[in-house]
Amino acid sequence: MGRNRFSNIYLMLVFLILYAPILYLVYYSFNSGGNMHEFEGFTLDWYKEVFADTRLLIIVLNTLVVALLSAAISTILGVLGALAIQQVRRRQPKNVLLTLNNVLIVSPDVIVGASFLILFTIIGIKLGFVSVLLSHIAFSVPIVVIMVLPKLEEMSTNLVDAALDLGASRLDVLTKVVLPYIKSGIFAGFFMALTYSLDDFAVTFFVTGNGFSTLSVEIYSRARQGVSLTINALSTLLFLFTALLVFGYYFLNRRKALAVGMEVKQ
Amino acid sequence: MKGLVRAFALIFIVAFGLMYLTSYLNSEQGYSGGNTLTIYNWGDYVDPELLEKFEEETGTKVIYQTFDSNEAMMTKIEQGGTTYDISVPSEYAIAKMKQEGLLLPIDSSKLSNLKHIDPRYMDLPFDPGNQYSIPYFWGTVGIVYNSELLGGKKLTSWADLWDPSLKNQILLADGAREVMGMGLNSLGYSLNDTEEAHLQEAKRHLGELTPNIKAIVGDEIKMLLAGEEAAVGLVWSGDASEIMGENEKLDYVVPTEGSNLWFDNMVIPKTARNIEGAHAFINFMLDPENAAQNAEYVGYSTPNASALKLLPEEISGDERFYPGPELTEKLEVYENLGKRMLAHYNELFLEFKMHSK
Repeated sequence: MGRNRFSNIYLMLVFLILYAPILYLVYYSFNSGGNMHEFEGFTLDWYKEVFADTRLLIIVLNTLVVALLSAAISTILGVLGALAIQQVRRRQPKNVLLTLNNVLIVSPDVIVGASFLILFTIIGIKLGFVSVLLSHIAFSVPIVVIMVLPKLEEMSTNLVDAALDLGASRLDVLTKVVLPYIKSGIFAGFFMALTYSLDDFAVTFFVTGNGFSTLSVEIYSRARQGVSLTINALSTLLFLFTALLVFGYYFLNRRKALAVGMEVKQ
Repeated sequence: MKGLVRAFALIFIVAFGLMYLTSYLNSEQGYSGGNTLTIYNWGDYVDPELLEKFEEETGTKVIYQTFDSNEAMMTKIEQGGTTYDISVPSEYAIAKMKQEGLLLPIDSSKLSNLKHIDPRYMDLPFDPGNQYSIPYFWGTVGIVYNSELLGGKKLTSWADLWDPSLKNQILLADGAREVMGMGLNSLGYSLNDTEEAHLQEAKRHLGELTPNIKAIVGDEIKMLLAGEEAAVGLVWSGDASEIMGENEKLDYVVPTEGSNLWFDNMVIPKTARNIEGAHAFINFMLDPENAAQNAEYVGYSTPNASALKLLPEEISGDERFYPGPELTEKLEVYENLGKRMLAHYNELFLEFKMHSK
């Protein structure tokens, strides 16, 4: 009992430390004083300013478009990649492929960003929406592979054999057996890619240009002048938005899990 | 499978919907037409109202993009995948960009307002004859201090910093030339001194300052000084005016021994598309009224003599930001000392940093 209480306190402490900076930021986004030193009074001015600043809104929309598109495309590519890797039966080449995939995940963003800048320069792609989208897809694909592969591995090969025995074509097996089975992995991969894209700074910093910018890069260049509370307000909105997404995803999953559980009972 | 297809179809529809919304907002702002001007400038370094005025006057739409360091800006321009029409680098960056062929020459016959610029700020060593750059703002390096924390004491010179009463009170901006320059200036040498004996002496002299130094920091120096974490800071005048806006207990002084004079100039990068528009914009910013409005908004010192006359007395008469002729005499612009000498400066600064704690 005593140990239990201790671990609860510890857990609460950890969460407090995790959320304190965000709460601090949210708190001051309502400060009429205009700085982060002392709280003068409650105001919604900073939120009004966010919505009045069209340039900032365009940048927010850009960020969301890049995140959604890159996450969706890299999920498709990543799933295909995971299927291909799973097909490799021999141990050694498979390990080599997996390691190569993981190297991309652990390599520093700065290196990835600089490499992309050099690559785009050589092949003559103009910096802007396309360059940002391509690089985001590139660093998201390995993440999706990593999220999907365990699901594939966990699937019993008997399922596929049974389907084939019953006369299913290869395509049927893929669309009616394999993909539904790994669905949760696919969505997990999609959401990981989405968040990676949303908060990436280092890679994006190198490949933005020509009037196209994302939020992380914009906030960075504004921070030089001292972060305005508009940024606090915007961050609060984004935090709420992502929190809603996560909770929404959680509740959908739970409802489905309950539904599945009921079916089993019947 | 059906669910997956539906989910992904939905994601793509939402993404394209947002994309349409963006392009709608963009065209609402008038950004989609061919007649645009892309400005690549420091964050918050121009009055947004002036950009609107320029758009109204010329019908050219302005895209304003920001960078946070000369180095980042140079990399983007060097890469060539960008189409910036105007940029505003600092003087040493201009010299470097010129050397690397990143700039287009400026046709001064198109700049009818060039006559308003104070001749003192023209034809400087980093760009003789102003072939590639036109002055935008200038400033100094100096000391910001909080006299309340210092018990009402006033600082006027570099030598004051060595006072033992300032123990653990000084923040330095992390720049080799700024700090070494302070060492050299405090001994009466030039900022651009290359004599080994003088440099070593400056380093030793800086070494004696170490008990007073609290930290050597980057851009966060503004936050720390405004938050009264330390009483004294070595900063650029632009930063100083910003911090003083946040905390009125602070004061700025250009040391009497002399200091650095820096410039941010407008240039046309080699990647520019709208060269005609770029000239029009430079000329627009040189207009005394516009220059004055901009100087008032940004808070840095304007090189525009006619604009200075239009500024309220409390700004133009502020000796801290527009030092009198006697002090101006002592201010020096950084010369390009060459790669080897710069490396030596950096090395000495590094040694000083290592021994300071």
